[in-house]
Amino acid sequence: MGGHFLVLVRLALRNLFATKLNIIIGVIILVGTMLVVVGGALLDSMDASMSKSIIGSAAGHIQVYSAKSKEELALYGQMGGEPDLNAIPDFSKVKSALETLPNVKTVVPMGISGALVTSGNTIDVALERMRALIRQKQRHGASAELEGQIHSQKDYLRQILRVLQSDTKKRELIVTERAIEPENVAALQQASSEEFWRNFDRDPLNSLEFLENRIAPQASDADLFYLRYVGTDLEDFQKSFDRMKIVDGQIIPPGRRGFLFAKYFYENQLKLKTAQRLDKIKKRYIELGKTIAANPEPKQWIKENQAQTKEIILQLDRIKTDQAIERLQRALGSSETDLDALLRHLFDINDANFNQRYQTFYEQIAPLLELYRIRVGDILTIKAFTRTGYVESVNVPVYGTFQFKGMEDASLAGNLNLMDLVSFRDLYGYLTSEKAEEIKKLKQVAGAESIDRADAEEQLFGTGRTVVAEATPGLIDDNQAFTGGARALRREELIRRVYSKEEMDNGVALSAAVILKDPKKLQQTIRDIQALSEKEHLDLKPISWQTAAGLIGQFVQLAKYALYVAVFIIFIVALVIINNAMMMAAMQRVHEIGTMRAIGAQRTFVLGLVLTEIIVLGLAFGTGGALIGTGIVRWLNRVGIPAPNDWFYFFFSGPRLHPWLTPGNLIAALLIVLGISSISTLYPAFVATRVAPVRAMQTEE
Amino acid sequence: MQPIVSLNNVVKEYRLGNVSVPALRGVSLEVYPRDFLSIAGPSGSGKTTLLNLIGCVDTATSGAVQVEGQDTMNLSDRELTNLRLNTLGFIFQSFNLVSVLSVFQNVEFPLLLQRKLSRRDRRDRVITLLEQVGLASHVNHRPNELSGGQRQRVAVARALVTQPRIVLADEPTANLDSVTGNNIIDLMKSLNEKSGTTFIFSTHDAKVMSHANAVIQLADGKIVDKNGPAEASLKQVAEVR
Repeated sequence: MGGHFLVLVRLALRNLFATKLNIIIGVIILVGTMLVVVGGALLDSMDASMSKSIIGSAAGHIQVYSAKSKEELALYGQMGGEPDLNAIPDFSKVKSALETLPNVKTVVPMGISGALVTSGNTIDVALERMRALIRQKQRHGASAELEGQIHSQKDYLRQILRVLQSDTKKRELIVTERAIEPENVAALQQASSEEFWRNFDRDPLNSLEFLENRIAPQASDADLFYLRYVGTDLEDFQKSFDRMKIVDGQIIPPGRRGFLFAKYFYENQLKLKTAQRLDKIKKRYIELGKTIAANPEPKQWIKENQAQTKEIILQLDRIKTDQAIERLQRALGSSETDLDALLRHLFDINDANFNQRYQTFYEQIAPLLELYRIRVGDILTIKAFTRTGYVESVNVPVYGTFQFKGMEDASLAGNLNLMDLVSFRDLYGYLTSEKAEEIKKLKQVAGAESIDRADAEEQLFGTGRTVVAEATPGLIDDNQAFTGGARALRREELIRRVYSKEEMDNGVALSAAVILKDPKKLQQTIRDIQALSEKEHLDLKPISWQTAAGLIGQFVQLAKYALYVAVFIIFIVALVIINNAMMMAAMQRVHEIGTMRAIGAQRTFVLGLVLTEIIVLGLAFGTGGALIGTGIVRWLNRVGIPAPNDWFYFFFSGPRLHPWLTPGNLIAALLIVLGISSISTLYPAFVATRVAPVRAMQTEE
Repeated sequence: MQPIVSLNNVVKEYRLGNVSVPALRGVSLEVYPRDFLSIAGPSGSGKTTLLNLIGCVDTATSGAVQVEGQDTMNLSDRELTNLRLNTLGFIFQSFNLVSVLSVFQNVEFPLLLQRKLSRRDRRDRVITLLEQVGLASHVNHRPNELSGGQRQRVAVARALVTQPRIVLADEPTANLDSVTGNNIIDLMKSLNEKSGTTFIFSTHDAKVMSHANAVIQLADGKIVDKNGPAEASLKQVAEVR
């Protein structure tokens, strides 16, 4: 074989640049290898980054949930909301069982759910405050200080009414009369009249009711937002997902009820819209060196800010309004006295004045405002439908905001907020032991009795009825109604209560994140969990993080398949081109091949000749392509590919993807390219072996 | 003495569509070792076909072709190829050198196919032959750097490098001027005399024919005359004049 091989390689090397056809094939191979190297590196890097995002933000390596569930677990939601999962009734049993497996590091309980939460509008908040002041006055009598506060609050309400009225006038200019409810206009007129406010003190509660019913709905700044949260053991969660960092506030103290907002959600859902728009202009345009002038999007945001100054004005009472006017006059060098005009002036932003206006807003105006609708330290009331369909609500203090390092702007990870497990169980409708206790106490206090179904009718309506008492009108005094244990469970107490680790573990969880010691043994561990679950009747279904990611996991998988299909099509095209080119090359060399055959070369030699040539060609140009591809990947690694939107932050596990190359990528690329080249050359090679030696005798044209 | 090549009533027909065109119509011939045989005849008389059959690059339609005692009709493609590699040498009208290989590599090529000799022996053999054809100083040249005569000498060296018993040459001088052509024939003749290799060559050049020790005259696919060298050349010369 030595002699053969020598001459084959010699011929192949000599032929490398002998014809234009070879150069064409070479360039195809070069570009092909380059694409495979770069594409492979991108896909693999993205895959690794995304798995880092998913594993690090909520999924862990494996998720387990009840095998009895009707639907599959989908951590990032699915079409039509949260999947219908059966609960794991006793988490502690599952935890202790799973932690016997050698590859399991920790098991973190979880439950994902969501609720629509409203934040009252500005008028509601102002009216609520007014009502509290008036109650105080009724209960404790008037004082000079209280009167002053009521007066100031009245001013503030009238200020809000003025804003609403001017808003209606503005609206009249752009919409037809019919679109404006005449009753609303009338109500607004009535509320703004001097007479209304003269009568206010005489009957404040009725006046407030009028404002609440007729005016408050006209202010459109109330917000309804969907809050997705993971109920979990926060201590374990923070330990297991160590990329989690607290941004504002603090971590929920161990065993306490509490809520942590995802920073991304907090910034994008709860922040004053005007401020959000300014932030977006800064982040997406100014910081990236793009101009406002050249882009329609920031211009639109600027217009919106100018049109929606109401959002700010409504928040300011008279004192703050005066402060704002004074500050803006100074900052803008204006003598304008109308706040709306001043704000419109402030938000008249272009590339030259952006930084100065941005600074003015945050330094002069923002301190006068509530920048976020819910602040750290507030008590958040979440109402949600339990699994059995009734409404349950909990009050949880907001301890702060958090984010996952590297995924600050990833919308997918950034919309999942954190809640303590106990509150989650309450919302889920799980009867905890303390709830059972509360119900028992309530029954005692109310004198409730259990009635058998069989004699219910007799007991309730019969002549000898004993259970129905006469109702007497009177005040309900909470302090009397709840005594002892029941009282201790009321709002403030619940918030202050510290739950033990046992209480956290004993109870339901919807799923559990399993963190592994060696993530490479994921599939094996899934099988182990399955076996364990069968043996101990745990009824668990273990799934990989990828499956648990639901649509997202599928989406990335789909993207990958789409890329594979594209690469496949490119290869088919390359295959056809190489095949044709090699065919032409073989035809051009009929005389030479015939001569070799006449001189004594076997058909196998001719086959080897053509194949060696393509392999040498493939190796030479393939290596070239791989080198160029490596260069491109290195360059991309250095500069990073910016995430085009917030979704990609998640796929890229950060603002930029820095793709890297593994030896596997290079070897795979070379093998694929050599394989494709060889396959596409099989037919031309076969044709070449059929060249008759007699062709050597025919005179070359 | 046993003939090294023998043809018995060989017929060769080519098919052109539905028509079969006869190229050889019953040729019988015996060639003996050390012969320097010329096959003569006008274009289309069947000279090349006859050489192709003897050279085992083509097979007869009927009749028997024996080369070194083997009936080529019964040999497989692989066996025919081995016969061509080890027993036969070829010199082509248009030289047929591999353009990407050097002079040395072209001559070495059949030895590499044979896989019999060591690198050193191959080198010795190739250099010796290139010296004999007077191209020792051109070993590293590419064919396109050589003149027509030089190329044909390389081809001669390549044909002889495996030390074949028979060398076939199809119009070896047709693409050369007469002086160069004569030199090539002289070279072939001297190699024939020195090594005893049998040469069979086709030509329609009377001067070339005159070197042969036997001449076969073909016309319309049949042998019309077999002569000793002297008569043949005289007759040809007379025809030419």
